Amino acid sequence: MSSYAVQMQGITKIFSNVKANDNVNFTLKKGSIHGLLGENGAGKTTLMNVLYGLYLQEQGDVFINGKREVIDSPTKAISLGIGMVHQHFMLAKPLSVVENIMLGHKSSRGMLLDTKVVEKKLKKLSEQYNLKVDPAAKIWQLSVGEQQRVEILSTIYQGAEILILDEPTAVLTPQEAQSLFGILKRMKDDGKSIILITHKLEEILSVADEVTVLRDGQLIGTKQIDDSTTKEELTRMMVGREVLFDFKQGKTKTGKMMLKIQDACANSDKRIPALRQFSLDIHEGEIIGLAGVDGNGQKELAEVITGIRPMTSGNVVLDGQNISSKSALNIIDAGIAYIPEDRHHIGLAMGFTIAKNFILKTYHKKPFARNFMLNEKEINKNAASIIKKYQIKANSKDDIVKDLSGGNQQKVILGRELSSNPKVLVAAHPTRGLDVGAMQYVRDQIMQARNSGTAVLLISADLEEILQLADRIAVIYDGQLMGILPGGSDIERIGMLMMGNKQEVVNG
Amino acid sequence: MWDDILTTGFLVSVLAATIRLATPILFTSLGAIYGQRSGILNLGLEGTMTIGAVCAFIVAFFTNSLFLGLLGAVLGGILFSVIMAWLSVTMKANQVIAGTAMTILGVGLSAFIYRAIFGIKSLPAQIESFQQIRIPLLSDIPIVGKIFFDHNLLIYFAFLLVVITWFVLEKTVFGLKIKAVGEHPRAADSKGINVAKVRYQSLMIEGAYAGLGGAFMSIAYMNSFTDSIITGRGFIAVAVVVFARWHPTRAMWGALLYGLASALQIRLQAIGAEIPNQFLLMLPYVLTIIVLIGVSKKAEFPGAYTLPYSRMER
Amino acid sequence: MGKTRIKKAVGSIWPAAITIIIALFIGAILIVISGKDPIDAYRLLFNGAFGSAHKISETLVKAIPLMIMALGISIAFKNKMWNIGADGQFTLGAIFSLSVGIYLKLPVWLLFPISFLAAFIGGALWGALAGWLKAKFNANEVITTLMLNYIATYLLTYLVYGPMMDPEGFGFPQTPLLPEGLHLGLFSAQTRIHMGIFVALALLGLVILFWKSTLGYKIELMGQGEQVSRYAGINAKRMMILVMALSGGLCGIAGWNEIYGVHYRLMTDIASGYGTLAIVIALLGNLNPVGIGVSSFFFAALLVGGNTMQRMTGIPYSIVDIIQGLVIIFVITRQAINLESVRMFFKKIGGKQHVG
Repeated sequence: MSSYAVQMQGITKIFSNVKANDNVNFTLKKGSIHGLLGENGAGKTTLMNVLYGLYLQEQGDVFINGKREVIDSPTKAISLGIGMVHQHFMLAKPLSVVENIMLGHKSSRGMLLDTKVVEKKLKKLSEQYNLKVDPAAKIWQLSVGEQQRVEILSTIYQGAEILILDEPTAVLTPQEAQSLFGILKRMKDDGKSIILITHKLEEILSVADEVTVLRDGQLIGTKQIDDSTTKEELTRMMVGREVLFDFKQGKTKTGKMMLKIQDACANSDKRIPALRQFSLDIHEGEIIGLAGVDGNGQKELAEVITGIRPMTSGNVVLDGQNISSKSALNIIDAGIAYIPEDRHHIGLAMGFTIAKNFILKTYHKKPFARNFMLNEKEINKNAASIIKKYQIKANSKDDIVKDLSGGNQQKVILGRELSSNPKVLVAAHPTRGLDVGAMQYVRDQIMQARNSGTAVLLISADLEEILQLADRIAVIYDGQLMGILPGGSDIERIGMLMMGNKQEVVNG
Repeated sequence: MWDDILTTGFLVSVLAATIRLATPILFTSLGAIYGQRSGILNLGLEGTMTIGAVCAFIVAFFTNSLFLGLLGAVLGGILFSVIMAWLSVTMKANQVIAGTAMTILGVGLSAFIYRAIFGIKSLPAQIESFQQIRIPLLSDIPIVGKIFFDHNLLIYFAFLLVVITWFVLEKTVFGLKIKAVGEHPRAADSKGINVAKVRYQSLMIEGAYAGLGGAFMSIAYMNSFTDSIITGRGFIAVAVVVFARWHPTRAMWGALLYGLASALQIRLQAIGAEIPNQFLLMLPYVLTIIVLIGVSKKAEFPGAYTLPYSRMER
Repeated sequence: MGKTRIKKAVGSIWPAAITIIIALFIGAILIVISGKDPIDAYRLLFNGAFGSAHKISETLVKAIPLMIMALGISIAFKNKMWNIGADGQFTLGAIFSLSVGIYLKLPVWLLFPISFLAAFIGGALWGALAGWLKAKFNANEVITTLMLNYIATYLLTYLVYGPMMDPEGFGFPQTPLLPEGLHLGLFSAQTRIHMGIFVALALLGLVILFWKSTLGYKIELMGQGEQVSRYAGINAKRMMILVMALSGGLCGIAGWNEIYGVHYRLMTDIASGYGTLAIVIALLGNLNPVGIGVSSFFFAALLVGGNTMQRMTGIPYSIVDIIQGLVIIFVITRQAINLESVRMFFKKIGGKQHVG
């Protein structure tokens, strides 16, 4: 019994009507690295949030080191030696490294902060595990990789013997990920037990000792990882069937140049240059996948193309027409559709009905408006037809969008953007956070758009997705185009570009 | 007119009045720093100050003790802020509307309580307010002495609070919690900090400070209570906090700036200056707008400003 | 179809009704604490507002400006622009429109529409100023509109004590009277109800239509979020100013109404706190024109009845203020209760203890 650091038995967790975890069993052997594998929405993060005390399970028991525990808060989890590094860092940007790590801990000086004492301890720990970071630095000054190190340091400082990492490589380049795995192996050798939540097969195979696979909230199985374990095997467990990797059917010949971005420069919200002389051509009937770690200018690029963000210099030409300084409204009219990465705050008006969301960009045009008054009949007709075509599951067109599932919300956006038969489609992380079925559907729709001649710019941090869909792959790093590779290129090459190693320009 | 202004006598009296008039704003804005730093915008401070003023006056009137009056104000301020905390933190209501409601409620409740006790008479009840305390020796220094060292106890205390507030925010565990909760409540929550509790606590401290600010008006600056005793100072204090970028010492300068505008208005009117009085009266309010213009764009608001926190957000 | 419409209308009114009842109940408690009889008090209140044709007309007279201002406020609020400056915008509208009436020597039939326009412009400018400050400098509109309130009040005081004072007014701080021809016609000699009530009702209808227009859609969309409205191509800065101008303009018209329909001159404190009350009404009516219409009437009753109540029982008029504050609190709470708090609460009492 006591060779297990963690045992979770029969865990069931319900949100509203959804069983995020359905009678799941999970065990973690001491001194091992255990992968928790599954697609988006499979229930991995939920299960770990239960372990960490952020959620309380409806049914089931948790045993830590053989003893049954009720973990009803992160404080309790921390006291049991459990630490969690979240996918979205839990770091307060204006505060320093020490201050963030001190949070939640008793100070050795009672009510006063004991900053110097903690700094000393941190220096020792960071040397022990090779997690170099300056304790006095403010978080906003650190790179993403460094911030992650702060998170890990924080859990060690707390005395965590059981470490949960939630999709840690989502924000790292392939090479940075390798360096992280080195650190994890060191910790394992030191006797710590580690849970690695991921949906990336490569990582499981390269660093985990065991893997547990979840699908749709249920436990599919647990396996030892050895040389004989294959990606296909794991994929089948994850997804339940063979994944069709062949999306190329129906591909038409690539047509003329539709969108030309020339030396675009733009600033981020913090007034720092985010796009530096970025150039790219996108043709009719092709999908360009833009790979790159989040935060390297993708958001600004999408906004510049769609007119939401002004360029400081450069040109964007659509089908021969210069749209560089046009307003967002003009660009929408000119035929550029945009699926934004944040469907809740950007792509949808959450408090509006489905019908009203469909006309988000067209409310002022015929037939939806006449003499400045909205034409309800036309609006409702339009809504009914889109709902039918895209099979959006809702009670009626008057449902408030906030109450729909993530997949259906994305369908609303898709329906709206694609039904205008756009010349260009910019899709930013379109499948993020969706379950497998919805993901497949969205990818399918993007393919169909491409097949009917739309020029598609697919921005994604998911290399598997890009490999599946893209005809050509472009890589962005620090606001610049690093290079263009043909579709299906191998991950190493893409990773190199993502790290900032510019290649001689290849016309893919 | 200018001959009267450019005399030492005038300048000394203006500066001394500046310090005095800055005090209620100072109390309230120092308190608001706690609340805003924890992520809550409290626009109900006008109501809180009024409650403080009425509590201080009534308690002082019936107990003949100014200190008990202060205690009453503090208590009243704290209790009143609990309602705002409940609305903003537990009910997760829109903080702007909640604050407006609290101001309406606070002013109305104060007027009601006062009238219920003293009746609807024409002459306001009066007490003997805080007297000035002249610090021996220091207050005898010409000019400087009269400006800085000849004030009542509350005023000295307000300026002492600047240091205390700075200390609490920068050097204590509680201060760190407040900052974390205001910047990234989810991070604080994941470290085991009770976000709601910290916000309640900071709002209660805010209420105590604002209560003192109101008390100053009724039992130190004046010696009675009227409905319009606060006249916008609660809101000016909120603006001062943004101007101060949530830092106690800068809040002090902001309060002093406001004090200067008020002092100028009173003194210029007293010497019969040729500027119509109403324009002078406008001065503090115009100043507030100018201050906001200068500061609001560059200011780095706390990350969770006016955003209620809920663990369930996915 | 008609049934669902009725159901909807009732559905939007009855939560407001409950809110008012609870607020009145707490008011009753306070009255008891202060040693008076609440039933007697409320009876006087009711009588004071509805006891006779004259009294009902008084209530209507008060309801008109309240409703117009609340409509104006609702436009800003729907856009999440917190316009607390209705009083100041009202005052500016009053000043502009009265000036036109007194200083412009034009035929009456021209002056009516011009003064109406002037009122709108005055209020719109004052509102747009705050909108511009927010658009250009990110200055918090709650504070700026509030400060502008005070400034407007002092401006009015200056004018009626100074340049605009009635030379034959024995030194009272008031302007000369508007010429007879410019007074809005009264319904009957006994009441003070004037044609302004038609203006108010027309505005109510206009606002209902407004929300069905493309501009109305745009404004509501902006209230949904800054990012999504940028995504939809809305120029946020321009809209901010436009919305505040519209909002302020309506408040300015309320000022026109009061001057041309009731007082016929400017005096100090002409807005007399209508602004804060209008905010409460807008919220209680859930920013919906019909709800606002009903709530205005109720609050006007409170005001008029409250005066009687104070005179007859000695219960401070400020109880009306308290009820206002309580109403907002309950409105907020009612909205919040629709959220997860309720689900969580029921889960708690349903057995399993729920974290968070």
